[in-house]
Amino acid sequence: MAMKALARIAMRAPIPVFVATGRGWLGPCRKLAASADIAVVANIRQAAILIVAGEPRDEDRDALRRLHDQMPHPRATAWWGTRPFAEADSALEVSATDDPGPLLRRAFAALLARVRESEPDWLPDDPPNPWRGEGDHGQGGKGMMGGTPYGRPMAMTADDLRDGLALDSFSFTVGPFYPSLPPGLALELVLQGDIIQSARIVRPPLDPGKGAADACRSMIVGRMLHLLELDALARRCEAVPVDDRDAVAALRRRIGASGAMRAIPDGLGRIAGADARTRFTRMVAALGDAEASSFAGPGGRLVDLLPGLEWSEAMLVINSFSHRDLVALAPREVEPEEHREGHGT
Amino acid sequence: MTALIAVLLLLAAGIWFGATADAVAEAAVAGHPVRAALTSPFRRAALMLSRQAIATEHPDRLNRLLAPACYLVLAAAGLSVIPFAPGMAVTDIATGLVLWGACEALVVVVVFLNGWSANAPLPLIGGYRYVAIGLPAMLISMFVLIGAALPAQSLGVGAVVESQRVLINAVRQPLGLPLFLLLGLSITLRGPFDYGDSADLAGGTHAEASGAHRLLWRAAKLAMLTAFSAMAATVFLGGYLGTVLPGPAWLVLKTALVMLVLVAITHLVARVPPARMLTWLWTVLLPLSFVDLVWAGLEAMR
Repeated sequence: MAMKALARIAMRAPIPVFVATGRGWLGPCRKLAASADIAVVANIRQAAILIVAGEPRDEDRDALRRLHDQMPHPRATAWWGTRPFAEADSALEVSATDDPGPLLRRAFAALLARVRESEPDWLPDDPPNPWRGEGDHGQGGKGMMGGTPYGRPMAMTADDLRDGLALDSFSFTVGPFYPSLPPGLALELVLQGDIIQSARIVRPPLDPGKGAADACRSMIVGRMLHLLELDALARRCEAVPVDDRDAVAALRRRIGASGAMRAIPDGLGRIAGADARTRFTRMVAALGDAEASSFAGPGGRLVDLLPGLEWSEAMLVINSFSHRDLVALAPREVEPEEHREGHGT
Repeated sequence: MTALIAVLLLLAAGIWFGATADAVAEAAVAGHPVRAALTSPFRRAALMLSRQAIATEHPDRLNRLLAPACYLVLAAAGLSVIPFAPGMAVTDIATGLVLWGACEALVVVVVFLNGWSANAPLPLIGGYRYVAIGLPAMLISMFVLIGAALPAQSLGVGAVVESQRVLINAVRQPLGLPLFLLLGLSITLRGPFDYGDSADLAGGTHAEASGAHRLLWRAAKLAMLTAFSAMAATVFLGGYLGTVLPGPAWLVLKTALVMLVLVAITHLVARVPPARMLTWLWTVLLPLSFVDLVWAGLEAMR
């Protein structure tokens, strides 16, 4: 009885969805995020429905499966404009031209009322890599540290970039569905504390496609605002009608008043004479201007900008580029033979 | 007994009020309907209770439960030294400010444990990062609170309230309240001082939390927001002092005012990267808290 009452109240909450964006789907995803009835969450642990928008890349399929299995029960997936995986036999299907809102609302209510069955895991409950019993304690490394016992790299001491102190370094993969990174981008990072020691492109960002400049810009500014802990302003940005000059001007004023530009350190991620703050300022100024060009940098590599940066600085640098420029700055790298997948959200 | 009931009621009401104020501010800034936001805390809480509380692989189960529980207890302990009226406090001790300071310091431990217990990289980074920022923020609070204790010549919270009968500390020591509010943002992991549970870490120390566990952590943070606001209202705005209305009503009103200010800052002010904040804390804010202490000392000697 109490659970039914709880479910009835919960059904009236905005539907928490996590969106796995496919190539060319930024525009429709932006429209979805603008709905007050849907809460696009930045963490799969908060989501009840995983929306797969557009055809996922072949190489992202395993990461998508892992993402799905991290979602708490009761849960469902909605495949928007693409065919579901074979294992997703009870998934919701939405055609590319339909608004998924009504279907999501019905499915959400059915999940909470326990009328619809929660989706089972798509992957077996096994370690993704075999156990490698090496080292004094069978963990695979030296002493009590290091190694990759189940394909998961453990911390191991290495010289710090800044002062040469030997500190624990830890490597893991982030992306291609990490909400603070552009869709598709996956990075293998070596960290000491929260300082990035080295970076490697595991998957390049998705090409946004033609005609998505406005959607890209507002999504990027939205992500930057999220990184600056301005979540509500980010949601306003993601939903602002870009052809409404007054609304866009009011948004720009609010962003300026929040100190968002000044919060980004001067000189951070400088390339071709422009730093992250400059690029962000330009991006905000170009909101609603479909003709505005992107930064169009003269070249360089994203991975060269990241070493030495603290985690949140690195996220700010990555998101300060337009999607199109990031595609140029983060090309696909040749994968080493022993490629590791870690915390692939 | 009356004071204990008052503390529990204030905590419960504060959690509801903080969640509602957050939802309304969020909707107003995001451009969503504000009316729907008024009841959204109940819907969100019901939704969290309806979802599975996932545990990561090999979490530190004891600390996973202890972290939010201790956070709640620290909020209640901090609130226990605050008088609702003359002599009406759960823990009416002569060293109330010291007890509050201990609660503040232990928040650093609790947030770190929350990040540690998940056994996952992003929560752990959030935990370590919070320790780096939280410790200097505590130092600022200590200096500011000592400054507030000087006119009272006592570390008792009741004596600090009584010392404001002529002039409240917010006016007498103009740097004190703004500096103390920064600590409030820090120990409640909010907005420009949210370095533990931040968006760049997908939620930081609670990135892996879901269901009831997530709700408990959120409630604990709101409880600490209530306790902190009540302390700020007591030490800098005269607490229960006021005319016409009874003392407890004044305390509640002033607490709500401080909560609203903190909620507004949360949604309107950007956060700087941690390295920059750390520099500001040691080179600007900590020296400012010294200035506040010197100011308070000179004022007390007049």
